[in-house]
Amino acid sequence: MPDLISTSKLSKSFGGLVAVNRVDFQVPEGQVAGVIGPNGSGKTTLFNLLSGYFRPTAGSVRFLGKEVTDQPPYARVGMGMARTFQLVSVFNSLSVWENLVLSSFHRRQQGSRLGSFFFKPAREASTLADCRQALETVRLQDKAGVFTSELSYGDKRMLEIAIALSLQPKLLLLDEPLAGLSDHEIGEVLQLLHEVKDNFTLVIIEHKISKITDLVQRLSVMNEGSLICEGEPGAVLCDPNVRECYWGRETDAC
Amino acid sequence: MHNIAVHQQSFPVQPAQRFLVFRDMAIIAAAFLALSLFTPLYWLTDFAVMCILVLSFDLLYGYMGHLSFGHMLYFGAGAYMASLALLHLAPNPFLAILAGLVCGAALSAVVGFVVVRTSGAAFALVNLAFNQIGYWLALSGLQDYTHGEDGLPSSVEALWFLDFRQAPVAFGFMLVCLLLVFWLLKTLTASPYGIVVRSIKENEDRVKFLGYNTFRYKWLTFVISSTLAAFAGSLYALVKGFVAPSDVNPLENTRIIFSVLIGGAGNLYGALVGSVAFEMISNLLATTIARWEMILGLMLLALVFWFRRGITGYAYQLYLDRSYERLVKFAQGMGLSLRRQK
Ligand SMILES: Nc1ncnc2c1ncn2[C@@H]1O[C@H](COP(=O)(O)OP(=O)(O)OP(=O)(O)O)[C@@H](O)[C@H]1O
Ligand SMILES: [Mg+2]
Repeated sequence: MPDLISTSKLSKSFGGLVAVNRVDFQVPEGQVAGVIGPNGSGKTTLFNLLSGYFRPTAGSVRFLGKEVTDQPPYARVGMGMARTFQLVSVFNSLSVWENLVLSSFHRRQQGSRLGSFFFKPAREASTLADCRQALETVRLQDKAGVFTSELSYGDKRMLEIAIALSLQPKLLLLDEPLAGLSDHEIGEVLQLLHEVKDNFTLVIIEHKISKITDLVQRLSVMNEGSLICEGEPGAVLCDPNVRECYWGRETDAC
Repeated sequence: MHNIAVHQQSFPVQPAQRFLVFRDMAIIAAAFLALSLFTPLYWLTDFAVMCILVLSFDLLYGYMGHLSFGHMLYFGAGAYMASLALLHLAPNPFLAILAGLVCGAALSAVVGFVVVRTSGAAFALVNLAFNQIGYWLALSGLQDYTHGEDGLPSSVEALWFLDFRQAPVAFGFMLVCLLLVFWLLKTLTASPYGIVVRSIKENEDRVKFLGYNTFRYKWLTFVISSTLAAFAGSLYALVKGFVAPSDVNPLENTRIIFSVLIGGAGNLYGALVGSVAFEMISNLLATTIARWEMILGLMLLALVFWFRRGITGYAYQLYLDRSYERLVKFAQGMGLSLRRQK
């Protein structure tokens, strides 16, 4: 399998702080990859570089075989990259269905749709059909008309994932999708991810390693900006370096 | 793609009701006609022009969250260009309007390319700077064309029944123009484009991660808004038959901002209510109190501290509270108790 996304000597510093340090990271097409690492190890910054939120200080990013280092975020989304944010990021001033019009309409919009983009009510049935489908996927269809600010954190997370899915991405980057959720909600998100993971390549940052070990096929571990270990989850978690930095001591599980 | 069996449940979003915009247009027309019973027609003609100007501003400020201190530039540009077209091309009102529109669109397309790169306070001030330049051009830089402080008189030839010297005709024409602008903005803001504009207000960066080149949408919205302001300006030139540098004066921006704040930003109705209220107040106060601006200042304070969402926002809140109380009573009648959230 060719790499869907890959980086080469990717670095990002903030002032004197090197948040991401010469990282070579690849994800083959169709894979579910996990990224773990202690707080402040540069995982989110890596995502920000992959998705174009930051320009790297050095190094490059390739996506779908093309160099995208200088492409803005929207161009990368256009190519098929979607992401979610560590702190849920949805539009609180819009209703739930409007959030999905925003993401699903754009994907379908071609030249001939320009008229309906500007002049057709967003509530038109054809647009809403897409929203409904996206909402049913995350089981939020009963809350379509609700203002997003009134959703619980878990529902917002689900909505954010629905937004990302409705972009029909080839690559989906999830930044700690389970953080801040109750056990019940974590179960729902994981079930959803199991259901949809075959449709695209998935990279997931997660602190709760035990929750994702049966989801991911490969784990990458970051520490202080560098990738320190990569491979099959079982092996990675037994790696002494990883155990050292992640748990700070030797444990005897392996 | 993601086919998952779920129970088919009702989707609580009502389908679009396209005729609603026409109902609103009828209400606006009726309100203006009702006002005409006790307000001079030439006032109402001005009100209608002001409504168009404030509506155009509401798209930029209320919907996209970009506060500009330079909107008068486009009003003035439209007014001057319309007058120049009347003087030098032909005394035809439609030609004058077209000239004003083209001028506003072209000017804002160029200026927009610069200003839209900023946001927040910088956006407001960069626009103010351009407005100042325009003011200076009208006063002296281009005085060969604008006649500087003397102003630019023009006259329109009567076209069929369209004679702007007759107050009812002028009023009727402005009212129709206002309804057209309302229809356009109502349609645009209810479309997916309108959702994009509102989402930029909340979090522009996030919109980029949904695949939108937000620069393009901001630029486009700026051009639409400014062109409509130029439309108002050219209408103004038609009814007044005179344009002066005071019509590009950056200080006049406070009138627009005031109107939209009084009425409530971001719903179009507020812009209408606000501009009529503001014009009424300023027209009435100016004739009765010498330093009426002081009353305006006090009103602004009241707005900022107690009525952040203006008249329409306040009315809507009242409506929500009332209907909530009704719901509670109904539930009590059914033996249920509802606790107030939040
Ligand atoms: N915009 C920024 N400006 C300055 N420093 C930043 C910025 N973003 C991240 N950093 C710093 O870069 C380092 C890596 O942060 P990053 O958010 O990538 O860590 P992380 O692995 O995602 O951590 P966490 O598990 O807490 O989410 C941290 O020291 C952080 O303070
Ligand atoms: Mg992080």
